This record gives sequence, structure tokens and C-alpha cells, in this order.
Amino acid sequence: MTQRGFASNYRIVLVAGALFASLGCVALRLADLHVFSRDYYVSQIERARYRIDVETARRGDILASNGDDILATSRSLIQLGVDPQSLREEDRAKWPELARLVNIPLAQLTAVFETKTRPVADENAGDSGRLIRWAKLSDSVEESVYAEILKLGVKGVYGNRTYTRAYPHNSLASHVIGFVNKEGQPSGGVEAFADFYLRGRDGWRESEKDGLRRELAQFRTREVPAADGYSVVLSIDSVIQHMVDEELAAIAQKFKPQKATIIVSDPHTGFILALGNYPTFDLNAFSTTPIAHQRNIAAADLYEPGSTFKIVPAAMALNEGLVAPGTRLPCNQETVAYNGRELRLMRDDHASPIPLTVAQIISHSSNNGAARLAMLAGDRKLYDYARAFGFGEQTGFPLGYEGSGLFNPVNKWSGIDITRIPAGYSIAATPLQIHYAMATIANDGVLMRPQVIREVRDTSGETVFQFGPATRRAVVSPETARVMARMLEGVVTEGTGKVTNIPNFEVAGKTGTAQKLIDGRYSNRNHVGSFVGFFPATNPRAVISVIVDDGRPPSGGNAYGSVVAAPSFKRIAEQLIQYLDIKPAASSASGGLLAMQGGRQ
Amino acid sequence: MNTTGKNAFINQLFVYVLVGVCLSGSAGLGAVWLRHQISITANHTRRLEVRLAEAERRLAEVTTYVAAEQSPDALERRNREMQLGLVMPREPQVVRVAESPERRLAAKRNADLFADESVATPVRFTLTGGARQRQ
Repeated sequence: MTQRGFASNYRIVLVAGALFASLGCVALRLADLHVFSRDYYVSQIERARYRIDVETARRGDILASNGDDILATSRSLIQLGVDPQSLREEDRAKWPELARLVNIPLAQLTAVFETKTRPVADENAGDSGRLIRWAKLSDSVEESVYAEILKLGVKGVYGNRTYTRAYPHNSLASHVIGFVNKEGQPSGGVEAFADFYLRGRDGWRESEKDGLRRELAQFRTREVPAADGYSVVLSIDSVIQHMVDEELAAIAQKFKPQKATIIVSDPHTGFILALGNYPTFDLNAFSTTPIAHQRNIAAADLYEPGSTFKIVPAAMALNEGLVAPGTRLPCNQETVAYNGRELRLMRDDHASPIPLTVAQIISHSSNNGAARLAMLAGDRKLYDYARAFGFGEQTGFPLGYEGSGLFNPVNKWSGIDITRIPAGYSIAATPLQIHYAMATIANDGVLMRPQVIREVRDTSGETVFQFGPATRRAVVSPETARVMARMLEGVVTEGTGKVTNIPNFEVAGKTGTAQKLIDGRYSNRNHVGSFVGFFPATNPRAVISVIVDDGRPPSGGNAYGSVVAAPSFKRIAEQLIQYLDIKPAASSASGGLLAMQGGRQ
Repeated sequence: MNTTGKNAFINQLFVYVLVGVCLSGSAGLGAVWLRHQISITANHTRRLEVRLAEAERRLAEVTTYVAAEQSPDALERRNREMQLGLVMPREPQVVRVAESPERRLAAKRNADLFADESVATPVRFTLTGGARQRQ
């Protein structure tokens, strides 16, 4: 008899049958899961486990002209809160330390912790009210502090991370930089203008999560990395900007003006080195600052330029060959015949009994003489030259919110405008327009466009775009500009701007004092005082404008430009000489070096 | 095991099925192990990413702090606090020198060397023929 052992026919059939039946069941179940009910289960799983994470791109930095000073950067802050329901009694001993870290009084922290419910309007809710699951402790806890808070291990205290913009220099160049509001939207300044470069592109990642909502990294499917924003390098020099801000603070303290503006620029490129306004505001506290303080006065506000406008009729008359610097014109008459009409001239404070040369008209700031210069060329020419100098049109200041000024076409001029406009009345201009008109003289007669951004850098620091000087137009000939510069030097050496004189540095400039229109009448007590100039006259390195609106000199006198603005011009110029290593023009030490005798007070 | 008899096929099939089940099980376990390793690696990568992001956040915080401390306002404050008395130099304090500072400093430092130049230093050299000449 053949030994069959365990493998008898019926056992084998039984085992095999059971095995195949089991496998068949598994196969059927698998077929059901993976074929017939697949869509249903997949949708269920995807709905429950699908997770998409947005990777926030870091907004680029805004840097000062040296490329190192950070004017604006991005950082994370923690919004710290507590779930009062989760607090443990054994953690109470840690509360004082937590209060210290969060920088709030212990009593305040305790009050937040012990308030477990908030009252509800619904009467059916009973006395208990609604349970508080999250109460805010602080809006802006730093990462390092948050790490210490986590180490404390107070159960129920946790934070949500938010990315915010930080401005390490607070109010420095605030009107140029602008800010990013709490919704992440840029508002004004470079932040808004260069948002395209700064903002970067958010990334995202698809994956799955487990029951505790933790990411299951092994199920990541698609991932698009975030592209951080580019950095923007400005032409603003933080040191010069600081000088300007300090000077504005000094003006505000001494003269208590309504507003004041100081602009410093490079005459040859049009790049703005510093731009400051009073009142100003702290970029880190923009939400608590009045909107009026956030306006860039230098670009938006309009002033009658006063005598600083006299460079226009003088340059026009010189450029047209109508006069030479030594040409004498009568400047003591009350009326003048023009186009068949007898026009009343503006009165000069110190009318000269003898005719003044063109150079003296500028240095003594004669309204009478400026009107005569304008009349030599006529309405149309004056209008054309003023437009060419940039009055009545936007300068192209890149940061927006710029005014065009008020300058009527000739056919809308009143009969006496030809006597008023040359003295800087019946025309309104922004401080930037006034500044760049003077810069035209410093730049051999070529008007430049204001520039604030020098270059754009990628995240590795490589330059991806560079902004160069932008010429608007040639206004007067280089020769005329040089003659004008010499005449403006006369303002400083023997005219109304003597206070700005710095020996050997050829300061050239023009004072301006315009009466303000108060209730439709020119006020004798409210003035806009200004000084706009450049130096050294033969090789200008910097153009500086100081405009003070309605200053109140402590002496009680009028707020002439020579009183409220010129001293600030001089102080800034003196600092710039050292900072920019500007050589004295009259010195024999050409190309010499600086040997300081000491830098201590 | 009977391999030639009537039930040989059944026996062999049984063995093959068992072997197949073992192999499938091993492959399944291998796949599970592989998935587990992938999971460990992915989670490790994720933890590193989190740490990297944390480091970047701390770096941004420190950068902001350093920038704030380097601002002119902060430096002036330190100047006052430490009573350093540092101020911007003023023009009267500056002496402008026309000559080259490098040459001047070099001449000063090497004054002795330049002084010796005027003294005739004997130099000896030998001509090809072995005759010695003195200059």
C-alpha cells in the first residue's frame, strides 16, 4: 500500500480548497477596494488626509547706498496667546517668569489666565457664558523670547507665527522707504514702488497628514519652492540722511514750523542722497501716526518758491544773450511800461537807488530786477524756460504721490503775472521741483530725473538690474550754467546768503522767502523760508535744499530764508565736506589727503 | 516526499504555493520596510527643514537687531552713554597735505637707508679670466 502520509486526497483537496477560497476572498476584497469602490475610497482619503502647505516667500530687504545698511527687512514675530481651559495649577509658579518674558504686569497676565469665560448676549446660555479657548497675551514676541517661553512649559500657552516688516532705523528716511501694513500690503515709498522686486513668490507643497494633523512627509507629491524677494539698494546714504533728520529736528525745535523739508542730491546723476520731512513718523509705529505725517511733503506739497525762482529769469536772459552778468538794470522804480500797459512792480526790501548788475539782482534778490529780466524776454519765453526747468510738470520722482505744481499757461496769466512770477509768486512748485531746478544749474544746464533706487540684487547678492542717471533735457547752455553758478556764489559771498559761506568751498545758492496766502491774502507774518544751493560751484558735489514752512524765529522776526533755512544748509554742507571728502576749491592741496588733528570733542 | 507517484503534482503544488506565499510575504514585508525607511528619511528631512527655517528666523532676528544697533541713532546713543565724545571732524581740524603720503611715510621710515645711499659702497666682482676688479 502506497504511503500517502498527510497528503491524502481529501485532506489535500480540503486544504487547497480552503486556501484558494481564502485567497479568492482576499482577491475579491482587493478588487472591490481597488477597482469597484476605488473612487469612493480615494475621495474619502484625499478629503481626510490631503494637505497643502504654503511656503511664504521672504520679502527682500531695502538697503542704503553702501549696500550693507539695512533700512527694511523681514522677520517673524509670535502672536502669543493662552487657552485658559488648558492651564494647570502646578504651572502657577511659572506665571511671574512668563509675565517677565512677555513684558506685561503679572496682574494683567493673571487676569487673562483666570478669565475662563466671556459673557454672551444669549440669555439661554446661562450664567456660565462662552468658554474662552484663546486669549491674546502679546502681538509681537520675538523668536528668542518665544523659545524661552516654550522652555518654561506652561501648558495652554502657545503662539502663532506671523511675518512682519521691521525697520531697524525707525524714522530714518521714512517717507522714502514707505511701509508694509498689517495686511501685508505695501503703502507708499520704495515698499510700494519696488513691490514687484521685493515681494518674491510664495511656494507650496502637497502632502498628506495624519490624525493629529501632522504632515506625513513621505507622502509629499508636488513641491514648488518659494522664491524669496530681491533686495533693493537705494541711493539714500544713511549717514547723510541722519544729518538731514537731525537738522530737521533742530529746525522743528528752534522754529516750530508747520512743515519743513530737506533734500540732498548728486547734481550729476540726479540720485537723491537724503530726503527728509518734518513732521516725520516711525515706520515701526505707522499705525499710530496721523496720515498727514506720512505724506511726503517734498514731492506732494506745493509752495510758492519765492526768490529761489529768480534763477529762471536770470538764466533765461543770459542764455538768450539779452544780458551779461555785468549788465545794469534800474531796480528802484515802482511802475514799468510793458506791452503798452503800466505795471506796478513788486517792492524790494532794500531798493537800490542806482541800477544793479544782473549779478547784483541775484545776489541782492531784487524782485524789481527779476521782473525786468523777465520782461526783456517776454511772457512766452519765461513760460518756456520755467517749464524747461521743470516747473508745472512732475519731476518723474519714482515713488509716486507727486504733485505737478501750479503754473498757468501764458494765455491764463493776469496782467501783472510777468512782474510776480519772476519773483516766485503766482506759481506753485513742489520742493523737488525747486531742488531740481537748482540742480540744473549745478549740472551744466541739464535737468535730471530724481532717482532713489540704484540697483536690484537677487538673494545671492548678484546685481540683476541697475538704475542709471536719467536725463530729462538740456535747459540752458553749460556756459550759461557756469555763469549762473558764479552769480549764485555772489549770493553767499556778498548777498542775502552770507550765513552759508564756507571759505574755499565755493558755496552757491539762493535764499527764498515767500509770503503765505492766508485766507486769500498774502500774510506779513507767515512765510516759507528756503535756501537752495550747491557746492563747490566749479565742481558741484551736492545740491541741498532746505525749505521751512511757517517757521517762528525765537527773536520774533520774520522767517526769512536766510534765518530759518540757510544756517541748516551750512551745517549740512560742513558735514558733507568731511563725509564726502570734498576738497576745497581754492586750496593748493589738490589731490591731497586728510590729516585730522583730532576727532574728539 | 513522493515526486513520482500519483499525488506528486499535488505535493509539488502544495510546496510551490507555500514557497510562493513565503516569497510574497517576504516581498510584502520588504515593501513595508522600504516604505518605513522612506517615511523615516522623509520625516528626518522635514525635521531638518524645520530646523533650517528656525535658524533662518533666528538669523533674521539677529540681523534686524544688528542693523538697529548700527543705525546712526544707536551709535550716537552709545557715544553718549560711553562718553566717548566722538564727533564729525570740522574743517579747521583738517590739515590738507599736497604731497604723496606714501612717499613721505616711506622716506621717513627708511631715512637711514636713504642716508647710506650717498656713501660709496665697495662692490667686488670677478671677471671671466679670474682677474679680480674692484670698483
